[in-house]
Amino acid sequence: MLDDDALRELLPRLRRFALWLIRDPAGADDLVQATLEKALSRWAGKRAEGELRAWLFSILYRQFLDGQRRQRRQAAFMALLGRQPAAEAPPPEQSLQARATLGAFERLPAEQRALLILVGVEGLSYAEAACTLEMPIGTVMSRLSRARKALRALEDGDAPGPQLRRQK
Amino acid sequence: MSFPHPPSEQELHAYVDGRLGAERRQALERYLADHPALAAELQGWQDDIRRLRAALADPTLLALNPRLDPLRIRQRRRERGRRRLGIAASLLLAVALGTGGGWQLRERALQASIPPMQDALEAHRLFALQQTPAVDLRSVDIGVMEQWLRDTFGHVAHLDAMVERGLTPVGSRLLVNEQGAAALLLFEDAGGERISLYLRAPGRLYGTMLVGSRAQGELQTHYWSRGGYNYALVSHIGDPRADQLQRALRF
Repeated sequence: MLDDDALRELLPRLRRFALWLIRDPAGADDLVQATLEKALSRWAGKRAEGELRAWLFSILYRQFLDGQRRQRRQAAFMALLGRQPAAEAPPPEQSLQARATLGAFERLPAEQRALLILVGVEGLSYAEAACTLEMPIGTVMSRLSRARKALRALEDGDAPGPQLRRQK
Repeated sequence: MSFPHPPSEQELHAYVDGRLGAERRQALERYLADHPALAAELQGWQDDIRRLRAALADPTLLALNPRLDPLRIRQRRRERGRRRLGIAASLLLAVALGTGGGWQLRERALQASIPPMQDALEAHRLFALQQTPAVDLRSVDIGVMEQWLRDTFGHVAHLDAMVERGLTPVGSRLLVNEQGAAALLLFEDAGGERISLYLRAPGRLYGTMLVGSRAQGELQTHYWSRGGYNYALVSHIGDPRADQLQRALRF
């Protein structure tokens, strides 16, 4: 059986990932809840500790993509309800520069946000990130480059620059 | 170790993310010393990710949300399972009711295709309208007919009302339908007009307590229930005695 304590320990990380994907605290927790429900129904009991995290992230990401597709369809309806993504107030102790980075980060596409969180913040291996986002590792590398360049460019107030040229 | 060729994309990321082994890192740092533009870019990436980590801070700072606790989620899943079971049960019930309703519809369709006491009409056509009716008992005495009915059918019927309207017994015949025995009692008036009285146990399609009349072709059937039997009086259409006999024999 999936260990509740192991899940509880990963819960804050899942919530953070969800929050920075979806940018709406309530929606993020819905996403985490859906993720946990799916995880509990699919758990085969074969995963090691480290894999559990990547696996949960991948479920969450998939749910997020599904949700995005749904949301696009429901966009008009949501607008009718007047529900807006809650603006996150940055923690007070943040430096101006951290806030600028965050501001730029928020403007990145969801996939780039996901990549930067998984690799940069959560410390997933490239292979794990590839697994989570269901893309080849080479794609992870090139998209990571694009994400980092885009973040840089946004912080500098520029449009995202061209992709890092790979030389062989 | 050195980088005779430019480092790969993966090595650059690994460097930024601090995942290069010491040897590879030092080699890359030597390479970067000769490539200040790339060094500046990688430094920027490193600063970004450091600031991002700081900005996203400690994930445990998020206010606890009890509904996300695994225990709660397990409970909810179980509850939902039970609810689904309930829904499944009610669906099953609906299907059962639907099927039952289907049976009722089928009954109604059958009733529409088989009007009440149709067997009486058929029996009348088959036996009463023949020149010389094929009967089990040929009799002109109403007492004898009542006795026959009692003996073979186990049913007491008072048929005086027939005689009072100028109808004399011609004969009676024991028949069989899907409910068991049925009796056809045949009467004739002075003008040769034949009227038959038909008795049977209530059928599945038509229970007791049915009272009414209907016309079909040149014949009319008056029917009613009495004493646990269904009666039908079949006569020529428009025969005024039928109504009177129905009233007289019902009670």
